[in-house]
Amino acid sequence: MPLVDQWLSAASRHNAVLLLFVVCCGVTVIGALVIRDMQQANTEAQKMYKSSVNGLQEIGELQYDAQETRRTTLYALTTTDSNLQVEYADQTREADRRVRSGIAEYGRQAKGSQELALADRLNRDWTAYLGVRDEVLASILEGSTSEAVSLDLKGGVPAFEKVRQDLNEVKRLFGEDASREQASLAESSRRSSSRMVGILSFTFLLSTAAVWAIQRSQMLGRMQLANLQMEFVASVSHELRTPLAVIRSAADNIADGLVKNMDALHRYGVILQHQSRSMGELVDQILLFASTEDRNKRVSLQPLAVEQIVESVLSDTEVLVRDAGFTLDLEVDPALPHALGDLSGITQCLRNLVGNAVKYGGADRRILLRAFASASRDSSRGELQISITDRGIGIDSSEIVHIFDPFYRSPRVHASQIHGTGLGLALAKRIAESMGGSLTVISQLSAGSTFTLHLQISKGEDLQTVANEERQSRMSLT
Amino acid sequence: MVLLQESCANSGRAVAFSSADQPNPTEPLVIVVNRSNPVDELSFDELRRIFLGNRSHWPNGRRITLVMREPGEPERKTVLRDVCGMNEDQFKNHFVHGLFTGEILVSPKILASPVGVRKFVFNVPGAIGYLRGVDVDDSVKVVRIDELLPDDKGYKLRTQIQVAN
Repeated sequence: MPLVDQWLSAASRHNAVLLLFVVCCGVTVIGALVIRDMQQANTEAQKMYKSSVNGLQEIGELQYDAQETRRTTLYALTTTDSNLQVEYADQTREADRRVRSGIAEYGRQAKGSQELALADRLNRDWTAYLGVRDEVLASILEGSTSEAVSLDLKGGVPAFEKVRQDLNEVKRLFGEDASREQASLAESSRRSSSRMVGILSFTFLLSTAAVWAIQRSQMLGRMQLANLQMEFVASVSHELRTPLAVIRSAADNIADGLVKNMDALHRYGVILQHQSRSMGELVDQILLFASTEDRNKRVSLQPLAVEQIVESVLSDTEVLVRDAGFTLDLEVDPALPHALGDLSGITQCLRNLVGNAVKYGGADRRILLRAFASASRDSSRGELQISITDRGIGIDSSEIVHIFDPFYRSPRVHASQIHGTGLGLALAKRIAESMGGSLTVISQLSAGSTFTLHLQISKGEDLQTVANEERQSRMSLT
Repeated sequence: MVLLQESCANSGRAVAFSSADQPNPTEPLVIVVNRSNPVDELSFDELRRIFLGNRSHWPNGRRITLVMREPGEPERKTVLRDVCGMNEDQFKNHFVHGLFTGEILVSPKILASPVGVRKFVFNVPGAIGYLRGVDVDDSVKVVRIDELLPDDKGYKLRTQIQVAN
């Protein structure tokens, strides 16, 4: 189940549409297969019907023509007019020609040894019958009717009976062939139906699974958010309660007259000042995070010298770094171009990163701030990078994807009793993105982390615009 | 007359005149038998005997069936005159008498057209008949008379050319 939840969580990140897309793809592919199957079955059925009708018609014609050959021969018996008899002779020979052609066609289309042998036998029997027929016909034309009848009874009837049996055999074999084709068609149709049922079942199961997965992922998401928010409330309460307790205790001591001399009073003052600033910062951070909820909101950007940024960050974090007993080392490349950004935003972002480095920096107690220019990953303009490196506890690779999520706090951090709201990195990332930049991290567990703020490099026209704005501002002041 | 000569020349048939004073164009009358008949040649005398019904079987044992055109047809007249040496009435009487006495077994078969004659001869192995050259095809066999084919010089059996109306 945890594996399923993990998968669902991943699916929810890439949106549940992915699941529906998979369902659609599956249904489309199998649907296409079924349609192809049905078309094939339909074509086969049409072919079979046509072949069956044609075959029956051809066999019927063959039987009729064979009868016609015999019938017209015997018609000649009914008259003594030689002219009429010659006409009947013509008709019987014409019918004979059609029968021969039909037998030859059957031989050509014969499938398998049985049909070939039958075609051979039919041809032989027909030739034998024609031999008798010619004699009978000659006798009739000569006027020897009794001889003709005798010849026909003796040779013609049995010879024609053989032909009749052969033709019945042809019909029987054709029927068997048609039955086989029909069975094959029925099998094909059954296969198509099974596939159709399979498809419908598959679609139903897949859709049900998709709906279930979507619902579950949404539920998990909501539960996760609720958990994070509860953790956040607990963290914030804790973060607020600690300085509040100190402030109340100091205030109580002063009110109770326990603070007698000026030095002690001064110390209490510093404590109150520090704790109230700490509370103020926490509230500011929460408010700032709330204000960055609107991702479309862009801050006003201006060209900033790297030195200006570094100076601002140093002054902002000096107390924090010093109080924690850390050393902040600087490595700033010379002659760096101006960055395009908002100074307060950049300072806030870097302060959060330095704060994290202090919080998770470990025993080494050294933080490195580097500023350098490099080629941008997605534009030819280049970018300015400011990185904060510590040699602290590092981040597990499985957690890297979550650390920028709002309210997320690592279980290891929880276990280590390191306080925090889970908003610092989320806020830093949002600030970076609001300036058209980004925030990346490289980390190794127990070796430390490097967070890098990527900023756009200001072009010449940006500087010119700022200079103009400053000049206008000075003119309006004078 | 000029037209008649042209027609004859075009048809390629041998044309002869019975007398110099009164030109009477003729063409050979072909004696035909069934292709299975082994006989290739007959003497004029044998032919006469056959047409008079005095010979009833071929050498292969097949019964001879005589095929004639209807009375009044020029070919029939020629055969009666030149082969049988009789007129129509004499011929009829000869056969009535022969059949009555049993000397003749079968009376001649009468066909209305040359095509009918040809088809009859084709269908009956023992049949013998006569046709104009133009009506002969491969379905029947032409018999030499006194060793002469119809187109040979000296062929005796000739009939008047039919003039198309």
